[in-house]
Amino acid sequence: MTEHSSLLSRTLGITFPFIILFSIYMILNGHITPGGGFQGGAVMASIFIAKYLIVPVKDIRLVGVQFVEKIALLLILLFATAFVISGLNIIFPSFSQVYMVVMNVLIGLKVACGMTIIFYRFVYYESR
Amino acid sequence: MLELTLILLIILAIAAMQTRSMRNAVIYLGVFSLAISFVYLALNAPDVAIAEAVIGSTIATILYLVALQKYKIFTIYYRLQDAEIKDEHFYASYKMQLVKSLEKFCTKQELEAQIIYTHEQLADILIKHQYALIVEEHDDFFSIYAHHENYMLDKLEVFLEHEPPFKLPFRIIKLEEMESEVIE
Repeated sequence: MTEHSSLLSRTLGITFPFIILFSIYMILNGHITPGGGFQGGAVMASIFIAKYLIVPVKDIRLVGVQFVEKIALLLILLFATAFVISGLNIIFPSFSQVYMVVMNVLIGLKVACGMTIIFYRFVYYESR
Repeated sequence: MLELTLILLIILAIAAMQTRSMRNAVIYLGVFSLAISFVYLALNAPDVAIAEAVIGSTIATILYLVALQKYKIFTIYYRLQDAEIKDEHFYASYKMQLVKSLEKFCTKQELEAQIIYTHEQLADILIKHQYALIVEEHDDFFSIYAHHENYMLDKLEVFLEHEPPFKLPFRIIKLEEMESEVIE
């Protein structure tokens, strides 16, 4: 993949926004249709892989991505604990849908960050 | 349709095992992932099917391809004495014979040879640079240094034995640890 193919970068450039839209759809509708946080996050991580195929330039600060991942993990733990302890779903039964959407978004964010870190670390740092 | 796909899975798995080139095996595995995600879909597990299609046939395949690409460049350091760099004496034909056959070996193994002429000390090359082979020439023989985990070394030895005889003999030295052998 050292030599740069213009055909590949053109087609991937066209499909780029559709991949983003598809991943957002998958995350937000995860509780009623197939898909969900993990799958949507993995699709979102493949955006960065497509970006590597279009322009192999390292312009992502991995430290920032790592920070976002840690924050997402913290929020997942806090939100789930708060939901269980407060017992909101017993008072308002419709709140559990909100809970699922929020958890899907957080999990999707975390999975996307994690897979991006794995890929970029592997591509740019590890050798031999 | 499901039975056909299951048969296709077996065929793809055997093809991935039996193919000679690594790159083909990776592509076969990607197609295998796509087919097995169709099987999951037919068995009413769309969630698993999506995960398998995204991870198995996109991310894993690209990671394997990048890994193959990383192994492709074969760096050879050719260490010269200081005087030779000045008068370009190292282009003499009897010395280039070894370099030519090393290049031939790389072409045969689908590798890309990168030959770097240097006059750094051997210990410096070992510590600072990432090398596949280091060729050092003495007055009446060559020595070829390689890391003992280098997976091409056995093939290289067999290849060099079948080449036409060299004017200068060579010996291959496997480096177990970095410093210990360099000092002596």
